[in-house]
Amino acid sequence: MDRKERIAFLVEHFKDPRHKGVLEDADVTMPGGSPECGGSVVVYLKGDGNGGIEALSWTGQGDTISMGATSIVMERVLGERMDLDQTLSLDYEEFVESLGRDVIGSRTRNATLGLSTIKSAIRKFQRSRFVDAGDRVTA
Amino acid sequence: MTEQQIAEKGYAHPEALVTTEWVAEHLNDENVRIVESDEDVLLYDIGHVPNAVKIDWVEDLNDPLMRDYLDPEHFARLMSEKGISPDTMVVFYGDKNNWWATYALWVFRLFGHDNVKVMDGGRIKWEAEGREMTQQVPNFPKADYPIPTRDDSKIRAFKEDVEQHLKSQGPMVDVRSPGEYSGELLHMPDYPQEGALRGGHIPGAANVPWARAVREDGTFKSADELKKIYEGEAGLKEGDDVIAYCRIGERSSHTWFVLNYLLGYEKVRNYDGSWTEWGNSVRAPIER
Repeated sequence: MDRKERIAFLVEHFKDPRHKGVLEDADVTMPGGSPECGGSVVVYLKGDGNGGIEALSWTGQGDTISMGATSIVMERVLGERMDLDQTLSLDYEEFVESLGRDVIGSRTRNATLGLSTIKSAIRKFQRSRFVDAGDRVTA
Repeated sequence: MTEQQIAEKGYAHPEALVTTEWVAEHLNDENVRIVESDEDVLLYDIGHVPNAVKIDWVEDLNDPLMRDYLDPEHFARLMSEKGISPDTMVVFYGDKNNWWATYALWVFRLFGHDNVKVMDGGRIKWEAEGREMTQQVPNFPKADYPIPTRDDSKIRAFKEDVEQHLKSQGPMVDVRSPGEYSGELLHMPDYPQEGALRGGHIPGAANVPWARAVREDGTFKSADELKKIYEGEAGLKEGDDVIAYCRIGERSSHTWFVLNYLLGYEKVRNYDGSWTEWGNSVRAPIER
């Protein structure tokens, strides 16, 4: 893709965001970003109990890069059926490269808003499972 | 809206605004350069006012290393590349109620480029009126722009200025959202990216969120409406020496524009260090 096509790809996701919406029975709800600066998202995650993702969605508002990139990474995680650890290992630099350095420029924080919030959601989910397991052992 | 309607809004400096209609009539005016400056940096690529050039507040106006604006040499080079000479009238517009347009204008003023205006209503009004948009990037011949002198003293405030202002109980306007002003937002879990260790506001500052200065269609409110907000509610008085701040000085440049050009306050400074400096400073007094 050339620069124009890469922009069009982001714009298409911005206008028709994938996996957007509230997940009512989410295990974890994780906000990220700033409503006054670039954009903000809320990621909803439900684990499958075996280290996998049963459901993942998001809501949010912001600029073309932050919203488009969030939709793109959601589609990638769910489309490739990544588990929690695979998602955590996604590399920020590689993701920005895939979107196009010439498009993202210095807005790397906007571009990785969705991915970083997904990772935060996963970590929160794993911590909560760890605590739950700890509780059971103690009990 | 016509120029007459801007005049009827009662501003101290109505000449600081032009209408979308005026811009449409000056798209090919070689004495005018139209500049788009947005928060959403892809908007220009998606479509812009014909013959407009883009200025990105991060990549064009900030020093790449130090927390400061570009130096006079780089400003002259930027102007030359955009086909702007010292006499060119620069008309700014952008997204988010001209938030970033006024920020770029404020930076231009630091360098003494005073022939500046804002397109009232910004990008949203231009689009709503169904006016022409293009993806074609204009290629203007390089202009001759001698290296200017940057004067930060008149319209920019530094932390020491704010400390002095605090001592003399000078009026300040915090233009952030009520949640940021009260410190509540910073203390919400998972919002460390607000960029400060402490939440709250500078003691004595009034809270007037910047976007209260605009109407739903993106145009500025009339002088009477603005006076009700800034004088009636926030307690400013004609002749006041005012400092405005926000998180990094972008939203407060909008309020600086309103107070300075639309209401005629002659001594208004924008504290661009803003909360990311104050809220991180050791022993800087804070109110909640």
